[in-house]
Amino acid sequence: MTAKSPDGKKIFQTSRIYASQATDSRSTQMVLGPENKLGFIRDTSIQPFAPKEDTIEVPLPEDLRDALIEVSLSYRPRPGNVYPIHYVKRKVSLDQ
Amino acid sequence: MQFVYPRSSDTTLTAVLLWIVLILLNGTAACAETLPQASTLDELIAMFDSSGCKECHKEIYEQWEKSHHSRSLMGIDDQALLPSVLKRIAKPGVPLEQRVTRDFPCFKCHFPQAKYGSDEVAREIAVVSLKKDKATLRKLNIGCLVCHGDKALVHGRPEKGVLYGTKDIPDHEGRPVKKSPLLKNSLLCGQCHGLGPVLDSPDMPVQCATLYGSYLHAYIPSGGTKTCQECHMKGGSHYMPPDFNNRDDLSARLRESLPMEVRTLAYTFHPDGGKFFPMVVVKTKITSRAGHRIPDG
Repeated sequence: MTAKSPDGKKIFQTSRIYASQATDSRSTQMVLGPENKLGFIRDTSIQPFAPKEDTIEVPLPEDLRDALIEVSLSYRPRPGNVYPIHYVKRKVSLDQ
Repeated sequence: MQFVYPRSSDTTLTAVLLWIVLILLNGTAACAETLPQASTLDELIAMFDSSGCKECHKEIYEQWEKSHHSRSLMGIDDQALLPSVLKRIAKPGVPLEQRVTRDFPCFKCHFPQAKYGSDEVAREIAVVSLKKDKATLRKLNIGCLVCHGDKALVHGRPEKGVLYGTKDIPDHEGRPVKKSPLLKNSLLCGQCHGLGPVLDSPDMPVQCATLYGSYLHAYIPSGGTKTCQECHMKGGSHYMPPDFNNRDDLSARLRESLPMEVRTLAYTFHPDGGKFFPMVVVKTKITSRAGHRIPDG
């Protein structure tokens, strides 16, 4: 998720990783790739029948009344290999 | 009542005959368990060649040809899977091309017919992989004869010369077809799209696919009722998506499976006495329509 000022300057960025996470069961270091994984230690993947909800608070600079919010969801089976899923762009304003 | 004890010579003869019978029976049992062994890779490829099926099942064959099952030793963008495995199982003093079948835990699912090949076949596969000979690697696949053969039965062994389908077709050209209880059952897929750690090889314990475990322990307990085939073989298609090489198709499939809702709120936050600052709250909600965790394999 990225927040930008009306002139396009990035003012906030954060991300979430939804995935099962494994080590090789010989240390506490997470590993990638099926040939290395052995035992999940954490699972933040998206589960069936269990919506994944997140709330992100974005404090804006004091002089800013408008912002552009971009939310994207993508699938990355391997580092650098990205399959885009969703991209949502919203203009938000504190002025009514 | 009178008991008649056999004479000593009769006893000896009986014992000898009994031993002969036992040895013969034992031999028969051993033969029944012995799998036919291909001594070369070409021989094994020929044993599991499904191209003959194309003649009558053209549409299904063409769907399968585009699927990952038709190139099960190749990953995304046709990357050869085994070179990294070969490096992982390397032993000092043993050339990589001297690997034997049991050194490849991946074969269990990525090339299950390897059990019908000798260690020489495994060595040939290692050489082909190291050379990244994609033309040959493409011939090592999960073809018709794998799922409609060994994988179609878990209760007992498949009959020799028999194919398994969704119904009995005794006069099926080439080989008779018998009804398999599994072909429409998630367990068919679950045999490879697995449960968790695979500890068959002490040199390379792995945790490749865990999808069927997720299906069994997350989807089913939450009330899910669909089978793998209902979502991944719609209309009996053997394309069996997802197809990681078809980027747009995979993105569209994930978009459909994972609807995302975004809500925003902009306001002036007043957390404390004299403090005011502009704030945006972004709420996201991703719902899954899949029968297993995403991502998984």
